[in-house]
Amino acid sequence: MTSRFETLRPGDGIDGPKFAVSRESIRLFCDASLDYNPLHLDDDYMKGDFGKTNFGGIIMHGMNNFGLISRMITDWAYAAGAIHRRLETRWLKPVRPGDTIQPSGIVKSKQVTSKSRWVLIDVLVRNQNDEKVASGEAMVEFPHR
Amino acid sequence: MAQAEAFETDFWKDANLRKVWDDIVPGAPRKTIPYTLTREAIALYCKAVGEDHPLYFDEVYARTTPYGGLIAPPSIHILLMFSCTPADDWMRSPGTVNAGQSWSYNIPARPGDLITLSARALDKFIKRERLFVVHDNVFFNQHGEVICSGRGWTIRPQ
Repeated sequence: MTSRFETLRPGDGIDGPKFAVSRESIRLFCDASLDYNPLHLDDDYMKGDFGKTNFGGIIMHGMNNFGLISRMITDWAYAAGAIHRRLETRWLKPVRPGDTIQPSGIVKSKQVTSKSRWVLIDVLVRNQNDEKVASGEAMVEFPHR
Repeated sequence: MAQAEAFETDFWKDANLRKVWDDIVPGAPRKTIPYTLTREAIALYCKAVGEDHPLYFDEVYARTTPYGGLIAPPSIHILLMFSCTPADDWMRSPGTVNAGQSWSYNIPARPGDLITLSARALDKFIKRERLFVVHDNVFFNQHGEVICSGRGWTIRPQ
């Protein structure tokens, strides 16, 4: 879909799926990722301090954010005949059971290299209070067909 | 959960066998184990993050696409990180906090792939009294092709 790359502009938005976080969703992510760190399972353990940080209860896996952003990028890329090539993320705030989070993206720039074409996308995940819980950057390739 | 039954889900067990920040040597390889990725494992991962694209489930559809068959979502490395490492790997240390990750994707993982991991600690440092380790990882399929490569920043338990 050559025209898609040509018509993309910096500032174009991508909406990702809303995701309701619950104890059950976190437990399911444990089973699916095999990451059974007690940060995500053990309320008693989470009453303690982590260096200077006290989370006050179990938190969602940071990589659950990553998976949601990835889902948004791939669904957008597949529809355009493009390929998700890179995702870099940082976690800004913990996500807890009861939160609803949603990733979004904004096209930052386009670049043509000697053999292909690339789009850089700023990504964010916000919670129900419009707080940023994760941020990052994705890179999507639009190959010449 | 068949895969969970074969996997030690109590990360406290053998916690004393795992390397702490002081023991971790940047550049030293981590022990890894090959893992066969199944349709069931892909489906469970997809369920956990709400992935519903037919490329991951519908073989007839997937054959009509440039991918030529079923694939796993790129972020399947989230599962592979734990399925390709043994119980005494320091990534399992309770209290390990993930501070961020970056991943590059080459070709998709597919159901039936025998996945191997090349992994190491790349760097360790102290910032604002927190103990950081950077880990560096490459996943390969059974043909020796790179599936994806990535780096992560973890804060180690003290």
